[in-house]
Amino acid sequence: MDSEPGDFVVGALMAVFGLIGLFLAARAADDEMYVFGLGLVVFAGVFILGLIKRHYDRLDAARAMLRVRSDV
Amino acid sequence: MSGAALEHHLGPAPIYNDAVVKKFVIAAIFWAIVAFLVGVWIATELAWPAANLGLSWINFGRLRPVHTSAAIFAFGGSALFGTSFFVVQRTCRARLWGGEALANFVFWGYQFFIVMAALSYVMGFSQSKEYAEPEWHIDLWLTVVWVCYLLIFVGTLIKRQEPHIYVANWFYLAFIVTVAMLHIVNNLAMPISPYAAKSYSVYAGVQDALVQWWYGHNAVGFFLTAGFLGMMYYFIPKAAGRPVYSYRLSIVHFWTLIFLYIWAGPHHLHWTALPDWTQTLGMAFSIMLWMPSWGGMINGIMTLSGAWDKLRTDPGLRFSVTAVGFYGMSTFEGPVMSVRDVNALSHYTDWTIGHVHSGALGWVAFIVFGALYYLVPVLWHRQRLYSTKLVAWHYWIATLGIVLYIVSMWVAGIMQGLMWRAYDQYGFLQYSFVESVVAVHPFYVIRLLGGVFFLTGGLIMVYNFYRTITSPTTELPQAIPLVPVTSPAGALGVPGE
Amino acid sequence: MIKHQFFEKNAIFLLVGTLLTVAIGGIVEIVPLFTIETTVEHVQGMRPYTPLEMAGRDIYVREGCYLCHSQQIRALRDEVERYGHYSIAAESMYDHPFQWGSKRIGPDLARVGGKYSNDWQYAHLKNPQELVPESLMPHYAFLADTPLRLDDIERRMRTLRAVGVPYSDEDVAQAAADIAAQTNPAADTTDLLKRYPKAVGVAAQDGRPSEMDALVAYLQMLGTLVNFADTNTERLQQ
Repeated sequence: MDSEPGDFVVGALMAVFGLIGLFLAARAADDEMYVFGLGLVVFAGVFILGLIKRHYDRLDAARAMLRVRSDV
Repeated sequence: MSGAALEHHLGPAPIYNDAVVKKFVIAAIFWAIVAFLVGVWIATELAWPAANLGLSWINFGRLRPVHTSAAIFAFGGSALFGTSFFVVQRTCRARLWGGEALANFVFWGYQFFIVMAALSYVMGFSQSKEYAEPEWHIDLWLTVVWVCYLLIFVGTLIKRQEPHIYVANWFYLAFIVTVAMLHIVNNLAMPISPYAAKSYSVYAGVQDALVQWWYGHNAVGFFLTAGFLGMMYYFIPKAAGRPVYSYRLSIVHFWTLIFLYIWAGPHHLHWTALPDWTQTLGMAFSIMLWMPSWGGMINGIMTLSGAWDKLRTDPGLRFSVTAVGFYGMSTFEGPVMSVRDVNALSHYTDWTIGHVHSGALGWVAFIVFGALYYLVPVLWHRQRLYSTKLVAWHYWIATLGIVLYIVSMWVAGIMQGLMWRAYDQYGFLQYSFVESVVAVHPFYVIRLLGGVFFLTGGLIMVYNFYRTITSPTTELPQAIPLVPVTSPAGALGVPGE
Repeated sequence: MIKHQFFEKNAIFLLVGTLLTVAIGGIVEIVPLFTIETTVEHVQGMRPYTPLEMAGRDIYVREGCYLCHSQQIRALRDEVERYGHYSIAAESMYDHPFQWGSKRIGPDLARVGGKYSNDWQYAHLKNPQELVPESLMPHYAFLADTPLRLDDIERRMRTLRAVGVPYSDEDVAQAAADIAAQTNPAADTTDLLKRYPKAVGVAAQDGRPSEMDALVAYLQMLGTLVNFADTNTERLQQ
């Protein structure tokens, strides 16, 4: 399974959400908006890292398969 | 068409995205326990107010929306997302549209919504519109997640290999689309600032009352009914190994249900300042709604034709069929309570609470349990559940819990209604309000006990699933083949795998 | 005659057909409530909330008080006898959102204004069981210990104005002064009462209004604005 176009679209969207979260937290007028903004930043950060991790995991798995096949 | 011919006609089955289904299944199980636990806590607060502990963040006013949101959106919602993704893929013979990343976004984005909503309530932020308590920014986030959910679901329908869209998907689609409409319209509000978690509804007074209960009743009708009917239309035939009882009834059931349900909102506002004509319309349509509801019940139960003995041997299926029975009960009780003169007694009392929980525990939770008991072994590639005996224990303890709950609330509710309207021989009101509070206390304790039983059943289920997934005794006897084999012949109308 | 295949074989037709079907009921029931003029009665006495009452109402909303207390007296004999004149639509016309409630774990509050003294309300909010031993209500003493947030009052009023509440420019400009006047028993309240008749004064501790002060000011005016002795059923009929 190669990188799907969805990966990049969702990744870009999450980056936007993370930025929005940063702004919300920075200018939050109350505790709840602060928590929500910060939560968005953390969520976006972890999600994007997860996307990157999966990308490289898939690359490694594909390389491992090729190595196995070439050994045969 | 036999299974072999199906394979030949449509090609091998695609590799389904079951990872996201598994995530939603685990989430549903987790949130079920949270919802039941918070329910037990607030029931304790109502029986013994000292349980509020003098703390602002766990008092009844802040915790009750945590319970309702956890039960409806966290537990119910996760179950709907998960089963709809499972069902749409298999009945369309197509992998989820949009790719893995989008599916994961919908999962984690929805969980983020749940956590943020609950946090906001205990922090003292709420719109105080029932089942629409989250403030504007959380509503916006949910809208984003929901649009992606709709895209994935419709995209999968469009790329299907199977020419006809199976009935379960009509109901899931109606659920997704209608909830979007209801959510957006009811939550229209002006924030006081883009950086503040406070907004004012664009509606006020009587107009807001109707918009809210147009939303609120159809949150029940489409989130808690149409969506779960989709679940019923897949998992009952699957577990019973029988086709849906009547195709024609499905069609009539579907269109009349989704048309009539929308009008029922005003029955929440009988005798109030809502205009009489609107109240009457709501009452009339609520009564008519009894018919398609029972049509669905008949379709679900009669699917067991020729397989009734399975009720003895398959406790998971027992949950699903009992659910449909409770569905029939609730959809009879509802129209009765919609009659203006019955409502004069029932409104504002615990009878309404009893009615809600016969639907929520008896129909919604039980149909989810039935689906999960089927799904978990399938998703984790286990031979069977760890213990069918534990499923039976769950069934009987939970059913006892439901009976305790609804009977205590019927008695409490009718008693309150009668006490509030009682006159003594001199023509004065006989009871002060607080006397009715004292009178219902024992029933609040019984209700709490019912909730504890229901929670206990849920915990038994969690244990059973944990062992099912991890125990060596439930492993499949041989290795999973890498190439999908031709599925055995299924009866006509059984949804394709 | 449309065959059902039409919907079953085309996801977009199914989606559009469903959306059209579910839109009808809402449109028929909701739209006329905005267009039929008799839905909200024309009565004397209704006015927007004072800034203090508005702040108190926002606290009532955020704490979920509507979960136990209704604010809607139904047109039923025993109810009218227990709580007062049945609620009319005009009385909640400035309530964004409405708080009619759907459950009475505690009594209806639609006409609680003036039924109890300010002292009673403070004592009851702090420890309900001290005044009503069988009460199920939680303690709200923390509201007395929380200072009322004053920096966003004008923003709230402007937002309410944007959704249709008729605050004048003077009302918005005078918001801070109005709160000070309404929370200081020694202050001159003529200007406040001219713009907001029947507003109830409360006594803030040390000149610093708390959240409880705002909530009590809100509760004490509930149901008091419309003079029902002045009108009759025919004039209220829809």
